[in-house]
Amino acid sequence: MKILDIALKDMLRSFRSFFAIIFMFVVPLLVTGMFYFMFGNIAENGDFSLPRTKVILANLDEGGPKFQVNPKNIPNGKKADTMGDLIVNIMESEEMSDFIELSFAPDPELARRSVDNQESQVAIIIPENFSKEFADIYGEATIEFYQDPTLTIGPDIIRAIMNRFMDGMSGVKIAIKVFLEDAPQEEMIFTGQVVQDYLSVSLAEEENVEKKLLDVRPPTGEQRNKAEESENMLLSIISPIMGGMMIFYAFFTGASTAQSILREEEERTLPRLFTTPTSQTTILGGKLLAVFLTVSVQVIVLLIAARLIFSIQWGNITSVILMALGLVLAASSFGVFLNSFLKDTKQGGVLFGGVLTLTGMIGMIGIFAMNSPAAEKLSNSVSLLMPQGWAVRALMQSMNAEPLSSLLITTLVLLLWSVLFFTVGVWRFNKRFA
Amino acid sequence: MTNSLAIEVLNLHRSFGNTKAVQGAKFDVKEGEIFSLLGPNGAGKTTTISMLSCLLHPDEGDARIMGYSIKDNPMGVKSVLGVVPQEIALYEDLSARENLTFWGKMYGLRGGALKKRVNEVLDVIDLHDRAKERVSKYSGGMKRRVNIGVALLHKPKVIYMDEPTVGIDPQSRRNILDSVVALKDQGMTVLYTTHYMEEAQELSDHIAIMDHGKMIANGTHDELVKLVGGQTRIDLTLNVEAGIVQEIWKNTDGVSQVSAENGLITVLVEDSNQALPLLFESATKHEARITSVDILEPNLEAVFLHLTGRALRD
Repeated sequence: MKILDIALKDMLRSFRSFFAIIFMFVVPLLVTGMFYFMFGNIAENGDFSLPRTKVILANLDEGGPKFQVNPKNIPNGKKADTMGDLIVNIMESEEMSDFIELSFAPDPELARRSVDNQESQVAIIIPENFSKEFADIYGEATIEFYQDPTLTIGPDIIRAIMNRFMDGMSGVKIAIKVFLEDAPQEEMIFTGQVVQDYLSVSLAEEENVEKKLLDVRPPTGEQRNKAEESENMLLSIISPIMGGMMIFYAFFTGASTAQSILREEEERTLPRLFTTPTSQTTILGGKLLAVFLTVSVQVIVLLIAARLIFSIQWGNITSVILMALGLVLAASSFGVFLNSFLKDTKQGGVLFGGVLTLTGMIGMIGIFAMNSPAAEKLSNSVSLLMPQGWAVRALMQSMNAEPLSSLLITTLVLLLWSVLFFTVGVWRFNKRFA
Repeated sequence: MTNSLAIEVLNLHRSFGNTKAVQGAKFDVKEGEIFSLLGPNGAGKTTTISMLSCLLHPDEGDARIMGYSIKDNPMGVKSVLGVVPQEIALYEDLSARENLTFWGKMYGLRGGALKKRVNEVLDVIDLHDRAKERVSKYSGGMKRRVNIGVALLHKPKVIYMDEPTVGIDPQSRRNILDSVVALKDQGMTVLYTTHYMEEAQELSDHIAIMDHGKMIANGTHDELVKLVGGQTRIDLTLNVEAGIVQEIWKNTDGVSQVSAENGLITVLVEDSNQALPLLFESATKHEARITSVDILEPNLEAVFLHLTGRALRD
C-alpha cells in the first residue's frame, strides 16, 4: 500500500509540473501536428497551389485585318478586335486567375520598371504591330517577355502558356500560307473561313490551359478513391513521425521521472522517508512504480490523442498493448538506469540532452530512412543497438499488422533490455542508500 | 518525567574517511525530558542524530530507543520516533494538508484516523486556514512549522529536533521553542540539538556539550555551570592589537583564562569587581585603551569556553 502511496504522490507532483505536461503531451502532438499541416495540404487535394505570379501587361497592339472569333471559344468569352486583345482575354480568364495576378501598364517602359522594382514578376509587352505582323504572311509577330531573373517557377509557367498560344497562332499562319500556295484561285474566297475555323479550334484547345500545364497527381497510380488515397498518403507520413515522437518523449519522461529519486535526495525528503517505518525496498519500489505509471499514462494518452486528432491506425488492440508495454518498460527502466549513474540532478541536464538525444536518434534512424531502401536496411540494423530502436520496431510491426509472433519476439527483447537496465539501476541505487 | 530511559546511547563511533565525526558518544535520556546536544557547527550533533534515526550505521557502539536497538531493530526504532530534520524536508509543490496526509501514510496512518490526526496537527501548527496552499508559497517560519508537524503525526514517544530554529525570524523561533515545551508537557521525550546556548539553557532538563565529535560535558544546566566554578566572563575590546595586553592579563590576579577572537578578548575571572580595575590598569600601562566591556554571569557559553578554550559561537 505504501508503494502505491509513494507512486501516486510522485505522479501528482509530475502532473502538476507545467513543463512536464508540455514535454509529455503537448510537444509530441505539436511536432506531429506541424508535420500534419506541412503534408496535409498536398495529401488532401492531391495537388498543390503555387503562389500567384504578378504579371503586368502592356497591350500596344493597334490591330490589323479584321477578324472575328466565336466568343464561346475565347477563354474569357469577350470580343477580341486585335491579337493583343485575344491575349489579354486569355490572361484575364477565370482559369488563369488562380495563378496569375494581372495588372496593366500604358507603355512598355512602365511595365519593365514594374519588374525592375519587383512590383511585378513578369512583364508581357505586346507591340503596336503585333496583329499587323501576324496578318502579314511573311511577317514576324513577337511578344516581349520580361521577367525577374531571380524567379523561376511562376514566370516559367507564364512563358509556357504564352509559347503555347504563340505556337497555336503560328499554326494559323502556316495553314493560311499552305492554303494560299496550294488552293485553286476560285477557292481563295474561303481564306477568311479557314482562318476563322482554325482560330476557333485552336482557341477551344486553349481552354483549361492551367490544368494542361499543371496536372499534378498523387504518387500512386492506382484507381482509388481520391480522398482515401490522400488520407493514406498523409498517414504514411504522419504515423511514423507520431510514433517516433511518442517513443522519444517516453524515454525522456522515463529519465525525467526517475530523476525524482535524486531530486528527493537533494530536497532532503528521501532521507526523511528513510526515518519513517518504511523499508528501503518499499520506498524505491514506489519511486520505480511512479516512473512506470507516469510513462504508461503518457503513452496511453498519446496513443489515444493521436488516434483522435490524426486518425493514426496503431494496429489491432493486442499488438498495441504489447507494443506499449514493451515501450513503457524499456523507457522506465532506461530512466532508472541512467539516473543511477548521476551524482545529482545538475548532471541530469547534460545527460538527458546528450545520451537521450543520441540514443534516440540512433534508435529512430530507421524512420528517417524509410523512403530509401538501401539506407533503410542498414539503419534498421544500427537502430537495434538501442532500446529505442526495438521500440520503433515494435511500433512498425503493430502498425503494419505483422504477425503477432514477430511482435512478441520484439517485445521479449524489450523486456530483456528492461530487466538489464532495471537490475543495474536498482542495484546501484540500493548500494547508494545502504 | 519518569525514571525509565527513552534513549540510551552506548559508545557510538562514526567516521567519514579519515574524519572522526563522532567518537564515543554516550548519554541517557529519561522519558519525558528535553535533552539538548549543544555544540558548534561540525561538532558531530547531526551525525549522532542520524545514527539514532537509523539513517547512518554506527561504526561501533549501539543505542536503544524505547528499548529498540538501532542496529538490531531499526523499524522498531522508527515506529516510535519522529524526526524534525535540520533542513526543511517537505514537498514544496504539495499543500500542507497533502504533505501531512502523505507523511501520515508513511507512518502507517489510514482512513479516518489519518484525516483526524492531520486536522489536529494543522491546529497545533496553526496552519488550518492555509492548509490548501502549496508549501512553496509559505514563509520560512510556516515551513518550519509544517516540518515539525510532520514529525508529530503518529504521536511518537521520542522526537529528534535537529537545529529547528536555524535561519528563522525571532517570532517563529519563539513559537518553535514554545512548541518544544508543549511536546514535553504531552509526555514526549525530546532530543534537541542546537548551537544556541540560550535555547539549550531555556529548554533543557539535561545538556550534553559536544565538540570535535566528542562529548565533553553532560549534566543539568546548574551542574555544567559549576564546572567553571562560578566564574564570570568579561568580553572586552581594545583600541590596539590584543598581543602583549592579552599575555599580561593572563598573569593578572583573579583571571583564570584569556582568549581572543576577531578583536574580542574574553576573560574568565573569579570576581569582576576586583579584576576589572586591574585589567584597566595594565592596559593603560601598555598604552592600550579599553573601548568596550561586557560582563556576563556564568553560563553555558562560559562552560564551553572553559572546556575548549574557544567561544561556542565559533
